[in-house]
Amino acid sequence: MSAETVQAIIDDLGALLLFTMILIVAASQISRAIYAVAAQSFLIAIAGAVLATATGNVDLWVIAGVTLVVKATLLPWVLHWVVRRMNVRREVEPVIPVAATLALAVAVVVMSFHLSASLGTVRQAITGNALPVGIALTLSGVLVMATRKTALTQMVGLFASENGIFFTAMAVTQGMPLIIEIGVILDVILAALVMTIMVLRVRSTVDADIADLDRLKG
Amino acid sequence: MTGTLLMAACYGAGGLSSLLARWSGRLALGVGHLAALVGAVAGLGVSLGVLVGDQGRTLTLPLPELFPFARLTLAVDGLSAFFLLVISLVVIAAAIYGPAYLRAHSPGAGPARQAAQVLALNVFLGCMAFVCCAGDALTFLLCWEGMTLASYVLVVAGDRDGENARAGLLYMVMTHGGTALLLVAFLALTERAGAFDFAALRAAAGGLDGMTRTTLFFLALGGFATKAGVIPLHVWLPRAHPAAPSHVSALMSGVMLKVAIYGILRFAFDLLAPVAAPLPFSWGWTVLVAGTISAVLGVLYALQQHDLKRLLAFHSVENIGIILIGVGLAMILWRREDVGGALATVALTAALLHTVNHAAFKGLLFLAAGSVLCRTHVRNMEELGGLARRMPWTAGLFLLGAVAISALPPLNGFVSEWLTFQALLGAASRFHGPAGLVIVFSAAMLALTGGLAAACFAKAFGVTFLGRARTPHAEHATEVPPSMIAGMVWLAALCVALGVAPGYLMHLLDAPTTGLLHGPGASAVVTAQGPLVLSTALTASGTDATAISMTMVAALLIALTAMAWVLRRGLRRAPPRTAPTWTCGMSPTARFDYTATAFAKPLRFVFAALYRPRRAVIRETAGTPYVFQRIHYSGEVVDLAETQIYHRVQRGITVLSRTIRLRSTGRIHGYIGFVLAALFVALLLFGVGQR
Repeated sequence: MSAETVQAIIDDLGALLLFTMILIVAASQISRAIYAVAAQSFLIAIAGAVLATATGNVDLWVIAGVTLVVKATLLPWVLHWVVRRMNVRREVEPVIPVAATLALAVAVVVMSFHLSASLGTVRQAITGNALPVGIALTLSGVLVMATRKTALTQMVGLFASENGIFFTAMAVTQGMPLIIEIGVILDVILAALVMTIMVLRVRSTVDADIADLDRLKG
Repeated sequence: MTGTLLMAACYGAGGLSSLLARWSGRLALGVGHLAALVGAVAGLGVSLGVLVGDQGRTLTLPLPELFPFARLTLAVDGLSAFFLLVISLVVIAAAIYGPAYLRAHSPGAGPARQAAQVLALNVFLGCMAFVCCAGDALTFLLCWEGMTLASYVLVVAGDRDGENARAGLLYMVMTHGGTALLLVAFLALTERAGAFDFAALRAAAGGLDGMTRTTLFFLALGGFATKAGVIPLHVWLPRAHPAAPSHVSALMSGVMLKVAIYGILRFAFDLLAPVAAPLPFSWGWTVLVAGTISAVLGVLYALQQHDLKRLLAFHSVENIGIILIGVGLAMILWRREDVGGALATVALTAALLHTVNHAAFKGLLFLAAGSVLCRTHVRNMEELGGLARRMPWTAGLFLLGAVAISALPPLNGFVSEWLTFQALLGAASRFHGPAGLVIVFSAAMLALTGGLAAACFAKAFGVTFLGRARTPHAEHATEVPPSMIAGMVWLAALCVALGVAPGYLMHLLDAPTTGLLHGPGASAVVTAQGPLVLSTALTASGTDATAISMTMVAALLIALTAMAWVLRRGLRRAPPRTAPTWTCGMSPTARFDYTATAFAKPLRFVFAALYRPRRAVIRETAGTPYVFQRIHYSGEVVDLAETQIYHRVQRGITVLSRTIRLRSTGRIHGYIGFVLAALFVALLLFGVGQR
C-alpha cells in the first residue's frame, strides 16, 4: 500500500469515526449509543490493522486484535448485560437537551480542526487529518460524560473518549509502545468493571443512580 | 574517624536495644540510654579532637553509597565540632537522667511504648549529631528529617491524651513547612552545582547574583527559624516541648534548637557567603531584629505561663533570640573593616558561648522540672509549692539553673549576655544614625529581657518550691533517685565551670570562629589579658576595652556571702525561736501564699497592650450580695502572633473552603464539565502559544 492510499483510508475512517461520535451524542436510547460505540471501536481496530500493514509494525496488529476483542465486543456486551439487568431507564437522560449537546459537539469538532491547523510542526509526523479527529473524539467523549446523568451513558462517553486517545496515539506516533497500549486497555476494563459494580450495587442497596450521589453532599 | 563510627554504632545499638523490650522494658530502657551515653562520650571525643587539634583541620568520612546520584559524606570542621560538643554535653546528662525518669513518671507504660521511646530517642540523638557533621546536602536533609520525625514520636509517645496529639500535629506541620523551605534552598544550590557536597555548593554559590543569593538565604533562614522557634514561627514550640518526656524536652529545647542555629551559621557564613565581600546588610539586620523581638516577647509570654515546662519552653524562644542577636551582629560586622574588625569575632563568640550556656542551664531546668513532674504529676505551678523541703536537691539545682538563666553572676548566663552587650555597645558606637539607634534599642531590649527573666524565675522558683504545699500532690512529693540527681549535677557543674572560668573555653571557640570568619580566633580577641580575664579589646590601641574577671567576681561574691554569714552569726543576740506565722488570728493555709498569677499581675498591667489580658470573675452569693460563697476567677493572655497571624490565616482558609463548598455541586457530570472546560481552555492557550 502506498502512503497516499493509507492516508486516504485513515481520513475516510476518521470521517466515519466522527459520524459514529455524532450517533453517540444524538442517541436517545442507551442501547443505540452502545451499538454506536461498538462500531466506533470496530473502526479503530480497522485503522490499527491498516496502519499495521502499512508500517509493518507487529505491535499494531496485537493492539488492533485486542481492541476488536475487548472494546468492540466484550465491553459493549457487558454494557448491554447491565442494561438488561437493570431493566429500567432505557433513556439516556440528558442534563441539557440533546440538540444543545449536538451544537456543542459541532463546536468541539470545529475547534479541534482550528487548533490542529496551528500545530504545523506536530502535524508533519502524522497521517492526514487524524490529529483533529482524535482530539474531537476525545473531547466529545468527555462532553457526553458531562451532559448525561446516568452512569451507563457516562461509561459510553468514557469509551468514546478512550477511542479518541487511541486513534490519536496510533495516527500521531504510529503506535505507542505495546506495554502502554495494553495498560490503557486494562485501565478501561478496570473502569468498566468498577463502574458496573458500583451501578449495580448502588441500585440494589439504595435504589438510586450515580447521579443521585450529590445528595450525599453536606 | 573511629570516634565518628563509634558514635554511629552506639546510637544504632541503642535503637536496636528497643528490641529488648520484648523481654523486659526496664532492660531496654537501661541499655538504650547506656548506648546513648557511650555515643555521647564518643561524640565528645570527636569534637574535642577537632577543636583542640590543628587549626582548620576537617575530619571527613565517606559514607556507604546509598544513592546512585549522590556521594554521602561526613565532614567535621570547627563549627560542626562545636555543635557536636554542645549536643554531647547535654546528651550525657539526659542519658544518665532518662531511665529512672521514664520508670518513675509512667510506671504503667507497656513494653511497646518503652521500645518506641528508646528507638525514637536514639534515632533522634543520632540524627541530631549527624546533621551537624553532614558533609553534603543530602545527608543533612535526611538527618534533619530523621530528627524531626523521631522527636515527633517522642512528643506523642508520652502521655496518651488529645493535647499531646494536637501538639505533635502542629509540630509536624510547622517543621515540615520549614523543611520545605530548606529543601528549596538546598535544591536550588545543588541544581547549580550538579553535586551534593558542601564544597561544590560553596563553589556554585560563588557565582550567584545578589538577588538570588539573598532569596536563597531568606528561604534557609525561614526554614531554620521555624525549627529554632523564632517569633512569629514559634507557636509549635511551647506546645510540643512540654509534651515530650522531660529529658527529651531538655534535649529539644537545649540542643535541637541549636541545630537550627548551626544551619543559619553554616548558610550565612559558609555556603552562601560572597567571596571576599561582606554579607548583604539585609541579612544581618533581619536576624538582629528578629532575635530582639523573640528575646523580649519570649520572656514576656513566659512570665504569664503557669505550666512549669511551658514557661521553660517560652524561655527557649527568648534565649534563641539572644543567640540570634549575636549572630545578626556578627553578620552585620563581618568583613566591614571600617566598623567591624575584631568586633564580629566578639559577636560570634557571644552567640556561640550563649549556645553552649543555654544548652547547659536550660537542660538543667528542664531536668529539674521533670523531677518535680515525675514526683507530683502536676505541671501547673499553682498546684505545687513547698517542694524545697521535700526535694532539696531538685530545688537547689533548679535555683542554680534559674540564677544562670537570669544572667546573674557568677554563673554562665551572665558571661555570654555580657559579651553580647559588649558587642552591641561596641557596634553602637561605630554606627551612626538609625542603624546605631536600632543597635542601642536592641541592647536596651536585651537588658529588659534579663530583668524580666529574673522576675519570671523568681516567680517560678518561689511558687513551686517555697511556701506551703497547695495540693496533696505537692505534699506527698519525695526526692528523686540518685541517678536523676547525677544527671542534673553534671549540667549544674557545667553551668558553674562555664561561669567561673569561661576563659578556658575560648580556645575551643577558636576553631569555629576562625573557620567561619577567617579572622582572629576567639581566644585572641576575648582573652587577650589572660584566661581568667574576659576583655573586648575592640580597637588596636585598646582604648575602649572593657574587661571583667569572672573568677574574681565569683571569689568576691563568695567572700561577701561568707562575711555576711559570719557577721549575722556574730551579731545575733537571742537564740532563734520557731513560731507559727502570725496571720491576724486566723490559722494560716496555703491559700494565703502568693500565687503565680498574682505575682505576674503587675507586669500584666504594664504590658497590657501586648498581652490583651482577659479575665472572668464569677461570684456565687448566698442570698444577699454581701456574703460570697465562692469566687471563681479565670484569666488568660493571648499570644499576639497566634491571634494576629495564625488565627487570621485560619479564618481565611475557613472562608475560602466554605466558598469552594458552595460552588461544588456534588454532581459528577458537573465536575466532568469543569474538566472539559479546563481542557478546552488549556488547548486554546496551547494553540495560541504555538502560533
